[in-house]
Amino acid sequence: MTMDARSAGASRPNRTPDLLPSALRIFDLSLGQMLWSRRSVLLGVLLGGPVLLALALRVISALYTSGFRINGAMAGGASIFGLMIWLLYIRFIIPVLGVFYGTALIADEVEDKTITYLFTRPVPRSAVLLGKYLAYLVCTSLLILPSVVLVYFLIVPIGGGSIGAAFPSLLKDLGMVVIGLAAYGAVFALVGTRMKRPLVAGLVFAFGWEPGVLLFPGYLKRATVAYYLQALVTHEMPQDSAVSLLLQVFREVPGVLTSLASLAIIVGAAVWLAGKTVEQREYVLDQ
Amino acid sequence: MTTTASLETATTATAAPSIVAADHLSKWYGQVIGLNDVSVSVPPGITGLLGPNGAGKSTFMKLLTGQLKPSKGSVTVLGEPIWQNPALYFRIGFCPEQDAFYDRMTGLEWVTALVRLNGLDEADADRTARRALEMVDLMEAAGKKIGAYSKGMRQRVKMAQALAHDPELLILDEPLSGMDPIMRRKTIRMIKDWGRAGKSIIVSSHILHEIESMTANILLINQGRILAEGNVHQIRDLIDEHPHTVYIKAERPRVLAREFLAYDDVLSLKFEDEAVVVQTGRPDAFYARLTELAASGASGAIFEVTSPDDNLQAVFQYLVKS
Repeated sequence: MTMDARSAGASRPNRTPDLLPSALRIFDLSLGQMLWSRRSVLLGVLLGGPVLLALALRVISALYTSGFRINGAMAGGASIFGLMIWLLYIRFIIPVLGVFYGTALIADEVEDKTITYLFTRPVPRSAVLLGKYLAYLVCTSLLILPSVVLVYFLIVPIGGGSIGAAFPSLLKDLGMVVIGLAAYGAVFALVGTRMKRPLVAGLVFAFGWEPGVLLFPGYLKRATVAYYLQALVTHEMPQDSAVSLLLQVFREVPGVLTSLASLAIIVGAAVWLAGKTVEQREYVLDQ
Repeated sequence: MTTTASLETATTATAAPSIVAADHLSKWYGQVIGLNDVSVSVPPGITGLLGPNGAGKSTFMKLLTGQLKPSKGSVTVLGEPIWQNPALYFRIGFCPEQDAFYDRMTGLEWVTALVRLNGLDEADADRTARRALEMVDLMEAAGKKIGAYSKGMRQRVKMAQALAHDPELLILDEPLSGMDPIMRRKTIRMIKDWGRAGKSIIVSSHILHEIESMTANILLINQGRILAEGNVHQIRDLIDEHPHTVYIKAERPRVLAREFLAYDDVLSLKFEDEAVVVQTGRPDAFYARLTELAASGASGAIFEVTSPDDNLQAVFQYLVKS
């Protein structure tokens, strides 16, 4: 055992490290951990669900029928795909991913007692949160985007739909999925840093508050992420039934630019507040 | 200097500036007091923080490493406040007590990843990590997953991440816990080498003999208060009056126990799972013979040596009463 490490400290900087380079280093450290975690394996299995459903619909349409009726109207492949994007991905899978990853960004490190190693390095604590948030975004995108693309290729040809013609809308859908992941992830990262039972609070927000207030007219729905995301949905839904017409009356959709700006503000504010919370908070680990 | 015991404590009024200065430092967790009105000045060099479990050592360490914010008072490390001061971590290395890792990473990957957080690029970080792993004699296992490491190897890889960036101040929380006798001796030697090379080290333990083998300068802590500060030799006589318990996890505990029966300082023996628990009246002599025994391998491999702190607790009770 020698003192060779002395040279390592010779060129040591001595000023407060910058946020972004520090966050990128945390991102490097966290991405692999996140991708190969048990959580990713489980949610990867969950993301196989829509693919299996799409496969089943494709087989049924090939063997028994040339199309499907939704609310009494004939729906082509593009409409079914749009419906799956909205109901399965935007309203269910993305909030689930957001809740399970977002609330755990810091909580996992605290629970595993590895947070000490990150908080005793020359990086701002908010960079730890930001780096892990970026890792979440990449990790969940890598999990969900292949699933969306597979569903697209299986569903759109149903009823004679053209894969090529609908391709631009697929790109928009993929963009919307990433924006959804960013928004829900940021909101739940904030929940995770501020609340004692973030998972419960996150689930209540995603599956209680959001669907609840969206059903009623008024301003309350603006306190949801889904309200802004629905403006980004590019697909026309079948609207022939009485229920869908009634929902259409209440459906108040903001403009695309308003939605994008609002979602950007939600992401920025939530990540900033989460970072500030991590900076201030003490994490007491059980020995 | 706060002393409730009748110890004649050594003065710390030296010309050198203190590496750690606590001024009426208190920390409480709700109703529970972790540290109570501590004012202390730690000089450069090696300082041992000695106290039983629950004494406040870890709270003090966490305050020194900026993981906790003082409830009252202040603490400065290397002349600067540590709370919310990330730049100071360029100058500090911390080896925590908890046995926590990213188990799927190899030792080299883990140390490299942490060293990168000090601003080093991939190549420099790799070089620095390798050097640090060599320093703790872990280079042979550098490519193994940490999940497959023994307790002693895990302690060493924690040490490696703490010293890799060549900090001015090393803060080591129970660094010898779980190490085998040979590695324990090597680590003690390494810590002393660092001290001789001008580094400052604060090392915590609940075992006097560990601290004594590294430094004569100690802080005695109990129930959230610094009881005494100064030379270790002044309290070692008190410690020696109390039997010392050693837990030894070994390949062949019964063979080991037969060896121990021949030692006149061994007061009692008992078996627990794959370990033998020994009470000795002369811990120094016992540890020396145990190290020789481990090196010879005559009684099989010795995996882990730990000491419960009942004996130290008894000494603290004595000190507080007196």
